[in-house]
Amino acid sequence: MSGPREIFVRISRCTGCKTCEIACAVEHSASKNLFAAVSERPTPKTRVYVEGVLPDKRVPVLCRHCDDAPCMHACISGAIRRTAEGVVLTDTDKCIGCWTCVMVCPYGVIGRHLETHRSYRCDRCPGREIPACVSSCPTDALIYKTVGSFSDDVRKHVAEEMIAAKEE
Amino acid sequence: MQMDSVKYLIIGGSAAGMAAAQTIRQQDAYGSIAVLSAEADMPYFRPMIPYVVTGKKSAKDIMLSGNGPYVATGIQILTSARADSVNADSKTVSINNTWRMSYDKVLFATGSSPYIPPEIQGTDTNGVFALRTLADARGMAARAEITDHAVMLGGGLLNLKAAFALLARGVKVTLVVYSPEVLSQLMEPEDAGLIRIALDRAGLKIKTGLAAEGILSDKKGVSGIALSDGSELPCKMVCIGKGVRPSTAFLSNSGIELDRGVVVDRHTACNIPDAFSAGDAAVTFDPVTGQRITTGLWTNAVEMGRCAGYNITGKRTAYAGTFGIMNATQVADEPFVSMGIVHTKGTDYEVHASASGATYRKMVFSPDGNRLVGMTLIGDIAGAGMYRYVIRENMPVKEIKSLIISKKLHYGHFM
Ligand SMILES: Cc1cc2nc3c(=O)[nH]c(=O)nc-3n(C[C@H](O)[C@H](O)[C@H](O)COP(=O)(O)OP(=O)(O)OC[C@H]3O[C@@H](n4cnc5c(N)ncnc54)[C@H](O)[C@@H]3O)c2cc1C
Repeated sequence: MSGPREIFVRISRCTGCKTCEIACAVEHSASKNLFAAVSERPTPKTRVYVEGVLPDKRVPVLCRHCDDAPCMHACISGAIRRTAEGVVLTDTDKCIGCWTCVMVCPYGVIGRHLETHRSYRCDRCPGREIPACVSSCPTDALIYKTVGSFSDDVRKHVAEEMIAAKEE
Repeated sequence: MQMDSVKYLIIGGSAAGMAAAQTIRQQDAYGSIAVLSAEADMPYFRPMIPYVVTGKKSAKDIMLSGNGPYVATGIQILTSARADSVNADSKTVSINNTWRMSYDKVLFATGSSPYIPPEIQGTDTNGVFALRTLADARGMAARAEITDHAVMLGGGLLNLKAAFALLARGVKVTLVVYSPEVLSQLMEPEDAGLIRIALDRAGLKIKTGLAAEGILSDKKGVSGIALSDGSELPCKMVCIGKGVRPSTAFLSNSGIELDRGVVVDRHTACNIPDAFSAGDAAVTFDPVTGQRITTGLWTNAVEMGRCAGYNITGKRTAYAGTFGIMNATQVADEPFVSMGIVHTKGTDYEVHASASGATYRKMVFSPDGNRLVGMTLIGDIAGAGMYRYVIRENMPVKEIKSLIISKKLHYGHFM
């Protein structure tokens, strides 16, 4: 499948274990090592958030790198741009910590780093073949695919379920 | 008189104009685009000019082209080119009283300019500023060299930003505010407590309930200011932050409908064909109240400019409007967001306010309690964009209301 890959969430598979949060923070640390990362300053931050919806339902939320990214257009310092791969990136050198992006992100997935006074969000792990959250997820609730192949999978999955239901 | 012609003419090369130019280029790869800018500088991120006052950034660091979403090429930008008048019948514009340009489509994106109260004497004295342009920022930086004390008139966000830029340069700063509290446009005095504490802590001197009578001067320019209580403050710089007004004087005899700003329909179009307007210069509307408003917001200017870009190239797109108040910023070490309807005293809006030591949170619902219509968040602004979405979409909040009030709402609830 062509087109850039994206991180998809299969909500039904998430158990809320938060392994992805830890993997993300470690990947965005200087040492890339859990034990060293814990005491690093600035504190490494996760950019994926496992949120509780119902007592038994958990949902990992993270930057969608929107086609029409409101944060990018709203940024008053020109710090947010889209890469050729479709990733919406915040340039921390240009960010001034005015939090306009936080104000306009409908997903609530842009964080404020208090020590560096900069905003941060998912950068899809540049330099990794598969983002850290995806490769760490023990239940495959997070997957990394192109839009086309994800929807093909979903269609196949639904079709299988329909066949199974018929056979029951 | 020389006459040039262009397919898309944009008057004003800032947020609205450049966002429109970018969008037009995406929609029409070859149509000629010219942007007229009265300023001598190439387009830049206007909200960044306080950093030029402090010296933390240079003019080059804050240029628009090539940064953020502004990557389109083939846009002709003419600096120091001021439109004097528009002839909507012949579709021509007179520039610097020396030449003319004809157009197929025109966008008025001339923004706004600082309001200088005529009752204050001496506002044309050397050392008096109203921070709006890169040229103003350079002027302030130069004047700061010889300034030990500066007086700021007005307690709005722009003046606070200017005040902090001067504080960062080691200048002593006194803020003189007519209202009982700073930021009175963005929040009620009772809600501004944490901000006030942060400002005091940062070393800003604030005098409320006072107006300026006149600016005093000697041969080096500003030497002090006379206030309405009869007192005088010695100072070498005065900065006026009394709001802005749409820059539309050049349209006064054009037949383009004006009402403070340029009146446009929901598709950013003027009352005369092939003419559009966006940004601070335009009259837009509040999506919650439906009221006609003019704004001074970068975010609105970009969004409306992009919308105009689509409409100009024939892709009919409705503008969703904007809240008159929609600000996020950090003053001193206190982040805050204020949005929508936040002035609730003496109204029957349903207000839920809560304060902890370091945070303040006020959520405003419609009188029937069914819609979120505004908020002020100080200290903790996490997830502000989600609430913006709830307000803007006029969403019935029934199921999520307790989550909004208790700060437990997150995107998972919409999935
Ligand atoms: C210090 C500062 C901080 C700010 N911070 C924020 C912030 O944090 N968030 C926010 O939302 N907003 C902020 N703003 C407001 C924001 O910058 C404006 O709302 C925004 O720039 C409006 O964009 P615009 O394109 O409509 O017009 P403008 O930026 O006003 O630009 C209009 C341009 O048109 C030119 N022009 C005018 N008349 C003519 C003419 N006849 N011919 C040719 N050219 C003409 C002007 O010279 C100017 O260059 C800030 C503003 C300042 C000054």
